[in-house]
Amino acid sequence: MMTLSQPQMEQLTELFRCGASDASQALSVWLGRHASVCVDQLKQFNLEEATDSLGPADATLCACIMGVTGGISGQMLFCFDDESGLLLCDVLLGRDGVVGRDGVATEWGELETSSAMETANIVGCAYLNSLANAMPSFSSPVADYLGKTSHVWVPTPPQFVRDFAASILQFAVMNQAAEFDTVLVAQTRFQIDDQPVAWTLLLIPDANSLTSIINSTTAPRP
Amino acid sequence: MGGIGVRRDEGILRTLLGSCIGVALYERRLKLIGLAHIVMPNSMGRTDALGKYADTAIPETIRQLLKVANAQRLELSAKIAGGANMFANVSTNSKNSIGEQNTVAVENALKKWNIPITARHLGGSSGRRMVVQLPTGAVQIHVVGQTVVEI
Repeated sequence: MMTLSQPQMEQLTELFRCGASDASQALSVWLGRHASVCVDQLKQFNLEEATDSLGPADATLCACIMGVTGGISGQMLFCFDDESGLLLCDVLLGRDGVVGRDGVATEWGELETSSAMETANIVGCAYLNSLANAMPSFSSPVADYLGKTSHVWVPTPPQFVRDFAASILQFAVMNQAAEFDTVLVAQTRFQIDDQPVAWTLLLIPDANSLTSIINSTTAPRP
Repeated sequence: MGGIGVRRDEGILRTLLGSCIGVALYERRLKLIGLAHIVMPNSMGRTDALGKYADTAIPETIRQLLKVANAQRLELSAKIAGGANMFANVSTNSKNSIGEQNTVAVENALKKWNIPITARHLGGSSGRRMVVQLPTGAVQIHVVGQTVVEI
């Protein structure tokens, strides 16, 4: 069992918040609307509870998932329900999408799926870059092998899925679950034109990366 | 994830699966069912989360079934589902997926306990909702966007 102390959680939450500012800016430019991304919570779940972290376990959810390698390895997920995701597509495609009102798009076609993945790519990369720069340096086998610093985090292209929330989360937390009986999830929420939208960005480091991050934040600074 | 449920006479047990495996152990005569949600293939000797690993979850489910059956002799059969590889493009492990590893480990564990597998719904790239019904032992598999299948 890996349990983080309250000061450790607070320190890590502050680090993850560093990524949100750049992600907000990137999303605003991409959407052409005022958008904000904020770290809602850094939560440690028991394994049994982890799959409920996105809401009801058997709710149908969409997710654009990206693998992360380099200084850390893990998974990043951009998640939304059908209504919120299709609203995003309406906004992007100039279909008069207005938060809080029924949208135009009613199903996931190629255009909608592609829009969602591109959004995940833009927001996710901005978030990762900013977060990577804010992190203290730490030893990383992958980064060492590549001759890079631990500040270089490289996402894979996103993959779109529509599935049960619990099934999606299971995949994302699997590596942590292999090592620990708890999983740590950094959860981020969105607002467009000051209206909350049900999109969530999750960053879930692998077990080894999580250990490195925790050690680096609790080690005495020179 | 990693949980075990046991039920007798009537009702349902259900679980949601991605790369994990759901193992339903059914005792027809006693109308008894156990459902394990297996996360990883091997415990490596760990004893702190018995429902999580294929090698420990099967004996632990049997132990819990025996307790409910007041130690009567059990004649068990198994139905298994799950083991999907949902995000092959972003997985950092190019060898066997965790879903495939879980499947092999579960099949080996059931063989070791001489429990026949009467139905399977495994692999693919989609999650599953596995619903086990008593007293029949029927298992329904729900996949998003597809018709419900009974195994």
